[in-house]
Amino acid sequence: MNGITRLALALALIAATLWAAPLQAQPTFGPSKPGGPEAGKPAPGKVFRPSGSETAAAPALPDGDWGNFLVDVAYNEPKDPQFLPIRERLMRRQALEQLRLFLSPLKLPRKLLVQIDQCNAERRPYQPGGAVTICYEYIAKVDQTAPRNQPPDGLPREMMMVGAFVQAVLHEVAIAVFDVLEIPVWGRESDAADKLAGFIMVQFGRDVALKVIVGASWFFDASDRAWSETDFASEQSPEAQRFYNYLCIAFGADPASFKFLIDQKMLPERRAQRCTNEFYALRLAFAKTVLPHVDQQLLKRVQAATWLMLDEPK
Amino acid sequence: MSGAANMTMTRCDWFNLDILGARMRISRIAAVLIVAAACLMLQSSLTLAQSRPPELAANSRVIIDYIDPRLQRSQATMERLKKRQVLEDLSMFLSPLKLPRVLRVRTKSCGQVNAFYVPAEWAINLCYEFYENLEAIAPNKPTPQGYTRDEVIIGGFIDAIFHELGHALFDMLNIPVFGREEDGADQLSAFLMLQFGKDVARTTIKGAAFTYLSAKNPRTRTEFAAEHGAPAQRFFNYLCLAYGGEPEAFKEFVDQNILPKSRAESCTREFHQVRRAFAKTILPHIDQDLMKRVQSIQWLRPSDGKQ
Repeated sequence: MNGITRLALALALIAATLWAAPLQAQPTFGPSKPGGPEAGKPAPGKVFRPSGSETAAAPALPDGDWGNFLVDVAYNEPKDPQFLPIRERLMRRQALEQLRLFLSPLKLPRKLLVQIDQCNAERRPYQPGGAVTICYEYIAKVDQTAPRNQPPDGLPREMMMVGAFVQAVLHEVAIAVFDVLEIPVWGRESDAADKLAGFIMVQFGRDVALKVIVGASWFFDASDRAWSETDFASEQSPEAQRFYNYLCIAFGADPASFKFLIDQKMLPERRAQRCTNEFYALRLAFAKTVLPHVDQQLLKRVQAATWLMLDEPK
Repeated sequence: MSGAANMTMTRCDWFNLDILGARMRISRIAAVLIVAAACLMLQSSLTLAQSRPPELAANSRVIIDYIDPRLQRSQATMERLKKRQVLEDLSMFLSPLKLPRVLRVRTKSCGQVNAFYVPAEWAINLCYEFYENLEAIAPNKPTPQGYTRDEVIIGGFIDAIFHELGHALFDMLNIPVFGREEDGADQLSAFLMLQFGKDVARTTIKGAAFTYLSAKNPRTRTEFAAEHGAPAQRFFNYLCLAYGGEPEAFKEFVDQNILPKSRAESCTREFHQVRRAFAKTILPHIDQDLMKRVQSIQWLRPSDGKQ
C-alpha cells in the first residue's frame, strides 16, 4: 500500500470521526502555558468565524487594527493572466491580511514585505534583507495537485490547498524571521523553517493542527518527484523527508491525537519513537530564540482566535 | 574564527612512525622513507614549526578511556589509538571548552560499526569497529576523484568524533537546534575542520565526505523517514560548508561539477549561517585565548591514517 492510499484512508477516518464532532476544548502545546483565563481575552472563535456558507465570504476582520504594522502585504498583479483567478481568490480570502494579524505578536526590528508574485519558478528564495515571496506558480501547482472529484467521505481538496499554502507562507516567513532576528540556526535552514512552521501549526489546538499538518503533508505525499544523485545537492529536503518531518512534529506535540499516524503505518514506529524528543528540542529552540521576540499578550489573543476554516468555494 | 592558523601541515613526529608495527612490508617501508625524507626537508625549512605547547593542559572535565576490546582483533586497533594518544589529544583540543559537567569519551567495542553519544551517561562512545571499517573502506590508491587513504581514515575518524561532540554540546549546553540535529552535528564537525587552515580542511573534509559518498541512499519512501539525512545530502552539506568557508581550497569541487553550481551559489550564506550559530551558541562557552592556542597547533601528523 503506498503512502497516498494510506493517507487517504487515515484522513477519511479523521474526517468521519473528528470533523463530525469538533472538539470544544483545544489542547495547547505552547512553550509558555498561559496561567489561566485572562480578562479581556476574546472568546475562542470570535475573530475569524467561518462563513458557514457555500459562497466564500471573506472572514470578518476584527475591530481595531491589531495586525503587525511592520508587516506589509501585497498581491502583485501577475503578467500571466492564468494566475489572475488565484490572485482574486487569495484577495477575497484576505489571506495575507490574516497573516498580518497572525504575525501581530512578533516584534520585528524592521519592515517585512510579504508578497505573492509571479516568479517564473516555483520558489523565489528569500535574500537577506529582502521580501518574503510566495509564487503564483507554486500555488498553481498545489491547485493542480489537489484531487478533484473526491468521494463524499474523502478529504476535501481545499484541505490540501489550504494546508500547502499555509505551509509555504510560514516556511518562507520563518526563513525571513531567522534573518531579521538573527536567530542561530543549527541544521539546514530549509528544514529549520519547516520545523518552525510545523511548531506554529500545532499551537492552535488539535483541529487546526490536523487540518494544516495533514493538508501540507498530503501535498508533499502527492509529489511524484524521484530523488537521485545530484538531486540530493538541493538545499531543500526531499518531499518524502518533509512529509515525515511534519507528521513527526504533529505526533511529537500531541501523541494522543496523532496516534492514527502510527496505526495507519504512515509514520514508521522507528521514527515515531523519536518524535517526542524531537518536539522537545524544537520547543526549546523556539523558547530560546523566537519567544523573546514575541509579545505574550498578543500571542494569547492570536492563539484564542479561530483560524483556517475550510470555507473555500467548492 | 575562519582563516585560522594556516601553516604548512605536518608535524613530524618520529615517535609515531613506528606505529607501522609488525605488518610492515616493503612498500610500506618505501612509504616511510618517503615520509621521513619529506619530514626532514620540512623540519629543516620550518625551524619554527609549531608544536604543542607543553603548557596546554587537558580539559579537566573531559574524562577519557580506552576500554579493552571484547574481540582480539580489535586489540591492535586499541593499541594504535592509544599509542597515537588520540583521546589525550582530543582532551587537549577541548581545553578551551567550559563544560558544565564531565564529558566522558571512550573507545570501545560496540558490536556494530558506529560512534554515538549517550545522553544518559554524558558520554561519547567511539567504536573500534568504526575505525576498523574506515580502514576497510579507505581506498588503497587514490581514487579517480582524488580521495586518498589517509584522508578517509583521518577525516572519517575526526568527523565521527566532532559529530558526536556536536550532539554532546547541543545536549550539555542546552543549545537551540532548529533543524535536524544530525545535520547540526555535521555542521559543527565541518565548521571545526575549517578552523585549522586549508590543508587540514582539505584532508578532513574530503575524508568525511568520502564516507558519505560510499553509503547507500534511501530509495523507498519509508527509508526517507530516518532521522539522518540521506548520505548524499550529507556529502553535499560538507562540501558546501567547506566551499563557503574556504572557497579557494574547495573550488575544484565546483569546477568539476561535483558540487553543482545551483547549490554552490548558496554556500557562502550557509557557512555564515553556521558561523553565526557557532558564535551565538557555542562561543560563549569557550575560552578565546586558549582557543587561539589550540588553533595554532598542528594536530595532524604525517603518520596519521597509516597502520
